[in-house]
Amino acid sequence: MSNENKIKLLMVDDEVKFLESISKRLALKGFDVIAASNGEEAIASAENDFFDVAVVDFQMPGMDGAQVLKTLKERHQYLEIIMLTGHATVDSAVECTKLGAFKFLEKPYDFENLVKTIQEAYEARLKKKFEHNQKRMDEIQKLSISSSPLGLLRALARLDDKEK
Amino acid sequence: MNTTIDFENNDDLAFFGKVNASISHELKNILAIISEAAGLLQDLTEMMSRGQKIELEMLKTCSQDIVEEIQRGFTTIKQMNKFSHSVDAPLKSVNIIEVIDLMINLAGFLSFASKIRFDLPQDGASTVSTCPFRLQNLVYHTLVFAFKSVGVDGKIEIAVHRETNGSARIAFSGLGILGKQPFPSEETKKIAKSIGAEIRMAENSQAIDILVPQYSKNSV
Repeated sequence: MSNENKIKLLMVDDEVKFLESISKRLALKGFDVIAASNGEEAIASAENDFFDVAVVDFQMPGMDGAQVLKTLKERHQYLEIIMLTGHATVDSAVECTKLGAFKFLEKPYDFENLVKTIQEAYEARLKKKFEHNQKRMDEIQKLSISSSPLGLLRALARLDDKEK
Repeated sequence: MNTTIDFENNDDLAFFGKVNASISHELKNILAIISEAAGLLQDLTEMMSRGQKIELEMLKTCSQDIVEEIQRGFTTIKQMNKFSHSVDAPLKSVNIIEVIDLMINLAGFLSFASKIRFDLPQDGASTVSTCPFRLQNLVYHTLVFAFKSVGVDGKIEIAVHRETNGSARIAFSGLGILGKQPFPSEETKKIAKSIGAEIRMAENSQAIDILVPQYSKNSV
């Protein structure tokens, strides 16, 4: 399978050995994986590349998982983010859900379950994109009747702006 | 003097719990690495059994990771055991170097831990008679403050000196001004007082000395 057809995954964890092993395993499962060992690197990767799903460790030195989640969601609202944690607490799970995490998985997790969750997250992203495109089409239809060509372009630019 | 550490004292219990929680987090990380490396090994062997060509280097890396992480796990459990036994006696002859070394390792599990340079004392004299658990608590609290003051990319220095009156001086230097909070806190003062230790902070807040008396009697 060419990389273009693969789910593009951003894997973020400060435990480098864990990051390397899981990235290789996920790549063997057919994902196109980019690894980042800290929050800053993850945010920079997301700026330079396009991702469908991110898997982010909750507890990291420096910028922690919640901060990474918040920043990624602010900048790439259609990116689905799965949080991984060593010790899940109700508070951390609630915090991540509020910040827009797709799911919260506790380590050690079942690998097949992680793969399934990534696929579900990807489907959720596709659904959101489909809804966005639908909205875009509706907007074009509405504006094509009432607006000037310039007004139409501006409205589409506003809509596309949201889909970073 | 009591013959046991008073775990009705919430500060003692809180410290014991906090350290054990961070150890369990570390062990979980180790198991997660072993689990992923073993899983990858399994995936690769399955691929090989289907006739797919696998790089030998990948297999070597996986097994090497497993061996190293098991070793890291043993070291962590050894540290956990040492820490757990520190509550056995409220007063005993303690090697201060070992206490600092253990606390550096255990505090190193914290996500905000910074780098540390620990200089061993030139004179070699490092034994005091004190409550090991409370001394650990005091060193740990100071390390946490020091980490927060320099941030994860910072580096602090620790040295131990023998004073003329026989007490040991644990010197923390290179402290920063990040996330500045009052030090010592009331809790830290209480711990220091319980073993007769004195905390001195430099005027510029970039160094802390902890003076541990050679003999802490009736301290617990």
